[in-house]
Amino acid sequence: MPSTDPYLTLTSSLPYPGDLFTAKETPCSRYKLDDRLRMLTAEDATLLQDIEALLQWSHQPIARTDGEVVALARALAPSLRNDTLRSVVDHRMNQRTLVAALRRRKRGDDAPPANVPWGYSRWLDHIARHWREPAFGLTREFPWLPEANRLLDAEDSVALERVLLGANWAWLGQASMGHDFDFEAVVIYVLRWNVIDRWTSYSGDAARDRFHTLVDAGLAGFTDVFNEGSTHVGH
Amino acid sequence: MSDFVLALGWVGIYGPMALGAIGSIIGCATAGQAAIGAMMETESGHGRYIGISAMPSSQVIYGIVIMFTLNRPLTPEVAAGVFGIGLFAGLALLASAVYQGKSCASAINAAKAKPEIFGLSLSPAAIVEGFAVFAFVFALVISASIPAVQ
Repeated sequence: MPSTDPYLTLTSSLPYPGDLFTAKETPCSRYKLDDRLRMLTAEDATLLQDIEALLQWSHQPIARTDGEVVALARALAPSLRNDTLRSVVDHRMNQRTLVAALRRRKRGDDAPPANVPWGYSRWLDHIARHWREPAFGLTREFPWLPEANRLLDAEDSVALERVLLGANWAWLGQASMGHDFDFEAVVIYVLRWNVIDRWTSYSGDAARDRFHTLVDAGLAGFTDVFNEGSTHVGH
Repeated sequence: MSDFVLALGWVGIYGPMALGAIGSIIGCATAGQAAIGAMMETESGHGRYIGISAMPSSQVIYGIVIMFTLNRPLTPEVAAGVFGIGLFAGLALLASAVYQGKSCASAINAAKAKPEIFGLSLSPAAIVEGFAVFAFVFALVISASIPAVQ
């Protein structure tokens, strides 16, 4: 008799994720999380890895095209064995597709590209038909969309990221209802961990340090030029 | 035919204990796995996790008491009554133990995240225990009305 709660020990060993926007750090280190995830069966571990590879946007290779992402999502779809996993993946891909559409429209595109895969969503045709509407006529389905559109127009990247991550966080919370000790609970926990990791890794200080490093590196190049110049003058 | 009825009577006598034991096995294992997971994550309070995980063991004790109460020389006149009471009391104990185990696992998870709600988180498990006690007490009460062997 297969158990309905195959991952009781695993899910109980994961620390409470807490609230996204008040978190100062992830509930546990990635090393510890990976250590706990060794309790997954090989099949489930592979599926989780595939889901993360698709949804962890910051880890996508920069050269990966929209078409490759869509192909990856299509390849993953048959292995998503129930509605919860499908809804978790679909919601994130819907969000990405909608943000891509907003960005394309903002840069002046008159319509989404035809005959080229540019998104993974059941709303693709709907988006194309309502291209000129601020929220593509999808406010009821995606209540965060008007706010995201406004923030994108205002070029307020941090607030936009907050809206997007908040919407994703809320959706994952909703999807976790009724899944306490099963594989779906593990997947949702890992995805929430990734959201916290992404939000808490945004640091003004780190960005300032990085900026100074880049400026210093750039100025160092100019100093060398001037030094070389002065050397030539000396000669 | 009477042999079959007598066999059912024996099922009724042993049923509450066996079904209660099955429920307690599943319930304690469920809560126990959650307790082990919680102990991996926390530095203290391990004793109470183990204590909670033992909660679903009461059902097998109720089953044993019902078994001894129903245990009597069987005749075709009393066997059907013994079967009915024993079987359904056993099924009630089985279900209560399984679901109490799940409630305990959730309580352990909740207490791990928020130790201050430890007591409250046990309420669902205590309510489930109440239903097991109903099944137990009324099995004893109703078994008194089975006619004595002439």
